[in-house]
Amino acid sequence: MNQEQNSTMNYIVDQITVKNQLHSKKIIKNLAKFDEAYFNRANDFLKRYVTLLQNEGKTLDYSIDCYLQMIADVNYESVQFFQTGEYTSKSFDEVNQRVYNNPNVMEYYMHGLLLSQFLWTHHYDILLYFNKIINQNAAHINNYLEVGGGHGLYISEAIGITGAKANYDLVDISKSSLDIAKRMISNDKVNYILSDVFEYFPEHKYDFITMGEVLEHVEDPVALLKKLNSLLSDNGKLFITTPTNAPAIDHIFLFRNADDIRKVIHEAGFNIENEFSIYSEDMPAEKAEKYKVSMMYAGVLVKK
Amino acid sequence: MERNEILKQVNAIFVDILDNESLVLTDSTTANDVEDWDSLTHIHLVVAIEKGFAIRFSSQEIQSWNNIGELVDCIASKK
Ligand SMILES: C[S@@+](CC[C@H](N)C(=O)[O-])C[C@H]1O[C@@H](n2cnc3c(N)ncnc32)[C@H](O)[C@@H]1O
Repeated sequence: MNQEQNSTMNYIVDQITVKNQLHSKKIIKNLAKFDEAYFNRANDFLKRYVTLLQNEGKTLDYSIDCYLQMIADVNYESVQFFQTGEYTSKSFDEVNQRVYNNPNVMEYYMHGLLLSQFLWTHHYDILLYFNKIINQNAAHINNYLEVGGGHGLYISEAIGITGAKANYDLVDISKSSLDIAKRMISNDKVNYILSDVFEYFPEHKYDFITMGEVLEHVEDPVALLKKLNSLLSDNGKLFITTPTNAPAIDHIFLFRNADDIRKVIHEAGFNIENEFSIYSEDMPAEKAEKYKVSMMYAGVLVKK
Repeated sequence: MERNEILKQVNAIFVDILDNESLVLTDSTTANDVEDWDSLTHIHLVVAIEKGFAIRFSSQEIQSWNNIGELVDCIASKK
């Protein structure tokens, strides 16, 4: 790797090593597997991100602390998960109070999640898959909706690939998420809508909807997918991602395996046009099963 | 519970979870000395230790140990 170009990335890894040695083992292993294209992209992203931080009078150290706080949350939730076999949060109201409506939590959570997009191999691989799918469909995207866009990275990609020619709407239930997204997305074509997706009733239909890591955040995932089905045009496509066995402070619905996810998809009136999944740890499937390692699932869904 | 006794039991748990019969832990052992002790296996070690000793750790405690000695001290403080 090019030392100077990667200096921000190296700094992040050094700090993680000082502050959380156990976790740094995984990150160092991850980075060793990435190629040049990854580092170009990551450096590009980090440049934008550091500017965003600076504009707010924040430093990269702040962001690294956010990330490690998120890791601490995940670790604690994981221990509870393996003790009980369940996620700790049971209702949407509980999570809404604990997370989405809690700016302190939401702030460190979104910064943490943002860094994870480039520190976790599986997050990066899913981003590449999304990229490919948007590329394939770009010509037909005139009305794009993203639900639960969080940090804004996905919609940023979509705008870049579609040449900023479409109409872009971003719906999120959390003001903190929208605030971060606004700062990450350097494009004034996006309409930011603060709303629970269940209460969102637009006047037109969408030909492409993206919903990354939201399905596990609701009590009734079938109802959520049915809602998205109603927002989609007849030939429209829905891109979703959702993890199995992924304890987190804001996860409610537990998918134990990919078939659990497919069942929900079919029940909501969708067919799966294409799918991709990847374990969150790079290891043989057998070992991943033993440790109940989380798997990220991504699917391109079309109406039945 | 004797500190030594705790260390012995912790060693047995590490052997079991990490599938490594030859593992010998001392107070000064760190994650750098044990290849498979990483963020993933750490969670499973913590779960097994909680079960084995019938104790619970806080979120902070899970992140806090720099070596086996500190882990053993933490367990001892709860027994
Ligand atoms: C884990 S983040 C996912 C961020 C990003 N899409 C990704 O894939 O990395 C979940 C996001 O969904 C939002 N969200 C959760 N429930 C929602 C709902 N019912 N309606 C709209 N947004 C929701 C949260 O505020 C948060 O920004």
